[in-house]
Amino acid sequence: MTLSLGRGLKIRSMVHMAAEPIPNFWPMRTFIHHNPLHGLEDLPFPEAVERGEELFHGRGFLPRADYQRLFNEGRVDRDTLEASVAAALEERPALQAIGGQDLLCTLLTERRDPVITKRTVADLDDVAAALHDRADEPASMNVETLAERLRGCFPAERPFYEALDLLYGTRIGETLDELLIKTCLDFFDEGQSAWQMPGREQGLFTAWSALARRNLRLFLRGLHIQKILVQSETPEGIIAYILDELGIPEDVWQDLIVRELTHMHGWAGFIRWRSTANRYHWAKEYPADLVDFLAIRLVLALSLIREHARRRKMPGNREALEALITERPAECYLRHELFTGGVLPAHAEAVEDVVARGKPAEVASLLTRYLPTKRRAEGERQARALDELAELAGAPETFRDLDHDRLVEVLDELAAFEKREGMVWLEAMEATYRRSMLGKLRLTAAEPREKRPFAQMLFCIDVRSERIRRQLETIGDYQTYGIAGFFGVPVSFIALGKGSEDHLCPVLLTPKNLVLEVTTGAEKLDTDLYSSAEHVLHDLKHSVLSPYFTVEAIGLLFGFDMIGKTIAPAAYNRWRNKIEADKPSTRLMVDKLTREQADSVVRALQRVIIVKAIHHEFGIEREAITDSTIRELREAAMEKHVGQTSFARDFALSESAESKFIKTLQTDYRINRSYAQMQLERLGRIGFSLDEQTFFVAQALRSIGLTEQFSRFIILTGHGSQSDNNPYESALDCGACGGSHGLVSARVLAHMGNKPEIRRRLRTEGIDIPDDAWFLPAMHNTTSDEVKLHDLDLLPASHLVYLERLRNGLRAGMRRTATERLQTLEPDGEPELDAVKAARKAKRNTVDWTQVRPEWGLARNAGFIIGRRHLTEATDLEGRTFLQSYDYRVDPKGRLLENILTGPLVVGQWINMEHYFSAVDNEHYGSGSKAYHNVACRLGVVTGNLSDLRTGLPSQTVLYDGLPYHDPIRLLTVIEAPFEHARAAIDGVSGVKSLVKNGWVLAVILDPETGRLHRFVDGEWRQEALPTAEQDATDQPAAEEIPA
Amino acid sequence: MSGLLIILAAFFLPLFPASLVFNRLAAGTTNPFARLALFIVWPQIGVALILWGDLAPAGTVLATWATLSAIFYAFRMLTVREVGRWAAMLASSAWPLVWLFVMQGPSGSDLIAFTLAMTVAPVLMLLVRDALARRLEAAYTGLRGGLARDLPRLSGVIAVVTLAAMALPLFPGFFALLAVLSGATLGVAIGILLTWLLWSWAGARLLQGTIFGPRSGPIADDLPRSTTWLVAGLVVVMVAAGLIWTGGAV
Repeated sequence: MTLSLGRGLKIRSMVHMAAEPIPNFWPMRTFIHHNPLHGLEDLPFPEAVERGEELFHGRGFLPRADYQRLFNEGRVDRDTLEASVAAALEERPALQAIGGQDLLCTLLTERRDPVITKRTVADLDDVAAALHDRADEPASMNVETLAERLRGCFPAERPFYEALDLLYGTRIGETLDELLIKTCLDFFDEGQSAWQMPGREQGLFTAWSALARRNLRLFLRGLHIQKILVQSETPEGIIAYILDELGIPEDVWQDLIVRELTHMHGWAGFIRWRSTANRYHWAKEYPADLVDFLAIRLVLALSLIREHARRRKMPGNREALEALITERPAECYLRHELFTGGVLPAHAEAVEDVVARGKPAEVASLLTRYLPTKRRAEGERQARALDELAELAGAPETFRDLDHDRLVEVLDELAAFEKREGMVWLEAMEATYRRSMLGKLRLTAAEPREKRPFAQMLFCIDVRSERIRRQLETIGDYQTYGIAGFFGVPVSFIALGKGSEDHLCPVLLTPKNLVLEVTTGAEKLDTDLYSSAEHVLHDLKHSVLSPYFTVEAIGLLFGFDMIGKTIAPAAYNRWRNKIEADKPSTRLMVDKLTREQADSVVRALQRVIIVKAIHHEFGIEREAITDSTIRELREAAMEKHVGQTSFARDFALSESAESKFIKTLQTDYRINRSYAQMQLERLGRIGFSLDEQTFFVAQALRSIGLTEQFSRFIILTGHGSQSDNNPYESALDCGACGGSHGLVSARVLAHMGNKPEIRRRLRTEGIDIPDDAWFLPAMHNTTSDEVKLHDLDLLPASHLVYLERLRNGLRAGMRRTATERLQTLEPDGEPELDAVKAARKAKRNTVDWTQVRPEWGLARNAGFIIGRRHLTEATDLEGRTFLQSYDYRVDPKGRLLENILTGPLVVGQWINMEHYFSAVDNEHYGSGSKAYHNVACRLGVVTGNLSDLRTGLPSQTVLYDGLPYHDPIRLLTVIEAPFEHARAAIDGVSGVKSLVKNGWVLAVILDPETGRLHRFVDGEWRQEALPTAEQDATDQPAAEEIPA
Repeated sequence: MSGLLIILAAFFLPLFPASLVFNRLAAGTTNPFARLALFIVWPQIGVALILWGDLAPAGTVLATWATLSAIFYAFRMLTVREVGRWAAMLASSAWPLVWLFVMQGPSGSDLIAFTLAMTVAPVLMLLVRDALARRLEAAYTGLRGGLARDLPRLSGVIAVVTLAAMALPLFPGFFALLAVLSGATLGVAIGILLTWLLWSWAGARLLQGTIFGPRSGPIADDLPRSTTWLVAGLVVVMVAAGLIWTGGAV
């Protein structure tokens, strides 16, 4: 079968479109928080949640019982809840007429299950009969009606194997997932397996089909994949063939493809991201895209369907299914009841026996008895639910008094209300937080400082910075600022000894500049005995056969390691650190190289390589050759030297031996013109020009409003997390640094900020940084709350005398923060925890490999404040708020605010939504319990040994004892700026405007000039009164609405 | 006469196809007490016949027949979803092993104890069946899963009883299997081990269809604490009895 180019492209575009709602999934080495419904952000939040439920089968809101618990704990605002109910009643006259306010409030707060029960065959007459205790004989149901309903259950866009699973209990879907996951694990492996899948460089579909054609296991299972694969050479051709074979009309292909891809959205999201990651090493080496993925899935599905159809005489395509439903509707109905779990439990056994025998008379007889019973049961269940609700509301006759027509209306309205109920709860929860948070803000003007602070510390906007900032400000003369953890400098970074680039910036940006880490040469880089032994052990573990004897031979060593890590992790780790080699001191290449410098670097590298080549090829040591000999050889390899080289003369090389060596230098050691040119181009990416450096420093300082009164220390504090045995470690790192820690970004900006030339240029722009001000990079370990200062060897001598005071302060801040944080990690622990002990416990979490929750990370994040620090100073925001420093007075055009909204706010919103959905449905949008996770392919985790790639956050991050620890609410964004100024900035960033308009973030503008609060509600800005702390404490309504 | 008695006993210590009678009776008995009595008394009638007739059945044919009966019903346990029938299948798989034990020439009391050991798990499973049926309308696995979160006590009881049905160590079934294995030929031993494996597999499926997985179905009341303690006590007594019997105290 040959597919025309046009048709092939059409299928490709269908797959592309179908993948739109699937969120990208990045490898977990640099965990990127993302909104699982990112592809649906163009829809209003409630609609997107509903669509997400259809696509991913995930719940968009908490179960009612969880909301009720939160309500009873005072975390849901009663007034807002009642107001929402009242608003809902305005559109529901039938409910209004029967005292709907009490009824609906009772329904929300007192009844655990939905009052509208599932009815498949019962109608309102059955419900009415049950309500009035009448034993009416249920109306009979035509089998044609049943057949029609069944056809409705299996629309053409539904994967065909699902119909077989629901009619025959075949579990083809499970088998298919299993086979496809195994293929993904084989192909996408990034160095975890000892044996690699062959032919991966040819691409996913080609490599897989080559293997599948001769896969004996699949053949023995009766899967004749070869017969399908011969139909076309291309994945598009295979897709078209299979969909035609199954009898799927072409107009529903795209919908079917959506269902197939979203079924395993973890792998699909990863492949989707990977196929667009042009610089991703593994993608370049082993290409794959969603068309390949879909083609493989469909091939496996068709072969499984054919195998079942052949062996168990089932329909093999839609036409046969249609015929089956037409010919044997009663049997199909009973089968559907049994295998969907909808069968009446008391009849399950009988139904199973009868459909197994398949005798039409028995089926008909059973159906005659089953249907009326089912109708009655459904009617009674619905009536019972209504009665229970009425009883709870204190009006037991409410529903019994209704006539038929009114009952229909009431049930419809109740169903509509319950469908929208999630939003009612959500808005009431958000109101509680909004009132509490806004009530703590100080909208008064800041008092001017008399003298400059001892130290100014720039922290990431991350919610975890809030606690330590507050504690440091409490104990000393520290002035703190919040800035996105990459400090506004997008960097592509190559760490010492690494060959690949890490992008240290939000994933929305692509860095242009490369920063290289190089060693200072202060320490010897020779490998010590311990590291060598570690490498040997690693190699032994990761080969195919050696683990068998390694365990016997040296397994005991691992046993000691295991005991040490388990029994006394802190002490054991201290001991290990002593014997492990320290990381060498390094510098970053931040400055742009000139052409001459780049040439010089290339020449220097080539010379080093030539010395090694001479030693390797001839065994000649360095002392036997001169610089001019090396230069000559280099020029010969670069084709700039003609005639015999002095090297050949000195070591009596024949002409052929000399030319062979030159050739070896060119090919094996890559000393040639084209490679040198490539190196020059790469070197051209290294570093930032002076203009760029000036721009980034000025932008960073202006964006946080730090343009004067510079302190002696300007500490740039990146942050990262440290834990052991935790695949999610990078999820606890800095989101603004692309899931890496923020130290490198801090070092880069500090390097720029300390350069006299940059300061001179900044002065001309009105930012006068005094000569005694020093940018010092630091690292905030969010697991232990330690703040470690870096690049101290560069610190001017004049600053060294202040260092002890600085360290003391940071240590005290760390202990106070750890004490505060430990109480959230161990709510049942000691109530009066000693600070030293708390710090020790927190530090233990960094090395304890049994700890599934080393820290809470960003759980409970709920707010995003863009404004000056005095707004929140001395206010306990409970580590729930992103704090972005911003002074509108230095941003008259609003450009800086637009940058903040574009970058940090969007990252914050992704983090917030990731937590939201992981908390409301941890199984579907989160990744379930860590306890069952296994690392797959070194890029993600799976549950058990085979599952879809688990996206989202583990239960230990968002739940406590199975209940939500994270309050799933949308991000409340507060901007402190004049109303028009802030509104223009929001309107100026279309992405953010859409997020606000569609309700993905909640926006509030605090106008410091008028003292008014503006909130975006129902598509418009409304002016409201600012809640006060007293109001919050007395649980009064948050804000009285004032017309705008 | 002895041949006739053996054939008669084959109905009570059921060998296929005589086992059909017991299974039909078990399926037809709806009264829970009557069903319990049937499970307890039925195999003992077989034992009584053997002891009364002083029968000493032997031979490869009978051993093979008993082993195949045990394997057949163990295999059937994989396909049955109604817990009452599952218990009947377990009994029909366990009781043929009594014949293999008889061939080793045990004392009368040992034979009775062995048969009781093989009866305990099916009887407990019947209690589970009734507890499930009362709460979920039917004791049918796979329909109302995920009981562990909402009904932790009942789930615990189901887990313990299923472990007993899987003849795990400490439960009487385990010691009974060890006893019969110790005197078995290689072929029979392989058959017994296969039966054991199938019990474990079927038990795992039963747990999967009841206590694990996402919760579905209406909320029901958990087992009362007193009943849970009663079952726990019963299990302790059962384990103690098994230990005493195999430890030679009796």
